[in-house]
Amino acid sequence: VADPYKPRAPFAPWDRRELPGLFDVEESARRVGNYKWAEMRLFEALGGWVATVPELDVKMRLGTHCYKHAWHAELWHKRLPELREMNPDRLTQPANDALVRFVEAMTEPEGPDQTIEKLVGVYRVYIPHFIAAYTFHRNNTSQITDAPTIRTINFILQDEFDDWRDGEMLLQSLIETNDEVDRAAAHQARLEKLMIEAGGIAGPGSIGMPAANKPNGALAGGAA
Amino acid sequence: MRKYFPVDELARDQRFNQVTMRDRMADPRSVLSDRPESAGARRGSNRLVPSRPDASGAARALMHGIFVGEIQALEGAGRTCHDFRTAGDSARRDQDESAGLPPGDISDAIPFALKLDMARQAWDEARHVEISVKLSDWMGGEIGEFAENTVLFQAACSTDPVLRLAGVNRALEGLAIDVFTTMKEFGDLAGDPFLEFCEDWMLADEVTHVKMGSDWLRRVTENDPDRRKAALEFQAVVDKLFSYGGTRSDSQESPIGLARRFRELAGFTDAEVEGIAEVSLAALNERKASVAKMQAAAQQFTDA
Repeated sequence: VADPYKPRAPFAPWDRRELPGLFDVEESARRVGNYKWAEMRLFEALGGWVATVPELDVKMRLGTHCYKHAWHAELWHKRLPELREMNPDRLTQPANDALVRFVEAMTEPEGPDQTIEKLVGVYRVYIPHFIAAYTFHRNNTSQITDAPTIRTINFILQDEFDDWRDGEMLLQSLIETNDEVDRAAAHQARLEKLMIEAGGIAGPGSIGMPAANKPNGALAGGAA
Repeated sequence: MRKYFPVDELARDQRFNQVTMRDRMADPRSVLSDRPESAGARRGSNRLVPSRPDASGAARALMHGIFVGEIQALEGAGRTCHDFRTAGDSARRDQDESAGLPPGDISDAIPFALKLDMARQAWDEARHVEISVKLSDWMGGEIGEFAENTVLFQAACSTDPVLRLAGVNRALEGLAIDVFTTMKEFGDLAGDPFLEFCEDWMLADEVTHVKMGSDWLRRVTENDPDRRKAALEFQAVVDKLFSYGGTRSDSQESPIGLARRFRELAGFTDAEVEGIAEVSLAALNERKASVAKMQAAAQQFTDA
């Protein structure tokens, strides 16, 4: 029987988590506020579109995904006070004006014949950018000090991947002609350009930034 | 995307046919039939039970009604997520502009938690569409076999979110409690555990939705008695509309019963349940009087 009083290392040999991270409390909170704002716009758009799409399977998927993104917004809303932001509304902001313009353009299609455009905006542009921003945050924040954010991101990423797959398969089933391929691609290009202008869900630096522009106060011992 | 979405533009595929409430009730395949007493049915009872000779068709019609009602409930909950902003959200410039509002207007703001509840309801209603379309298939029905009455979504079109809570969550989802209770009993009596099982699950969700409506109505109008009064009046109008023809009441002459116990769980007071019972019974009596009048006229014609 092992001696229970024998000193052991505080971290097990297989536990390779590191203390340094790219974000200080303020930077993590700013990003979380941006995520909440962006998830809110997404669940509102999905909810609004339900009545506008004639395809029954798409209608039901939008309703299901609407809740998932609302739940993500709720998780971020709860995380903000833990990051010293006692008024979550103060940080529930778009990363910049370009992202507002992106959301306006993404939610523009309304007609019953524009299901492809609606789905392209969400599943080929917006959600892939969520996946990118969340993955960057998860992989670069301190694995120990910001562990609650990482845990939340892991839950959310599972949803994002599932929803992206759903949306992409719906699109593949809806796009049947060369003209529809062109429509989807044109809309994706238009939105992607706006997203580039925005710099991503959390603005420039959503998936990293030049070393010279790293936020102050961060312990950049990990990957940058 | 517009701030409010008109009911006559609800998007449907080509299988669906939309009609008015009056047209739907005039459908001879409706669950409320003026059928004569017949073998297998208890005298004086019109309740939807398997012993009714028209039970199969009536149950399929009711299930189709549930199916299209769930679609509209999904659409309504989704629209409430979209149509109103939360405090602090001023980034809706296009919407403000098209609605003629000053930029950043937040006079329509609703609590964040209310929106989250509506999003949750959207998911629940999406599952209910999935369940009811599978049940319809199980019962031998087809999408579009019966017409769709869009009055539920109309109740979800109010520009006041409190009226939506009263009209949809309390009146219509309250009716859903009654309908699912009746269908659950139908499944039990018919020896159909599949139907009974599914209705029981949907019933649990509906009680949750009605309770959401009851709780939010009280919280949002806590300091605004006039707004609460207007909301409850709107609820009474919708309740009466859906009692049209006495489809739902305590009387055995109505196909659908009033699920008093589940309504209590969902936050209805005793007085509110009594009020709905009275309105429903009055609607049933109105219909009976109307039928008697038509029968008398027909008799006169025959005699002549």
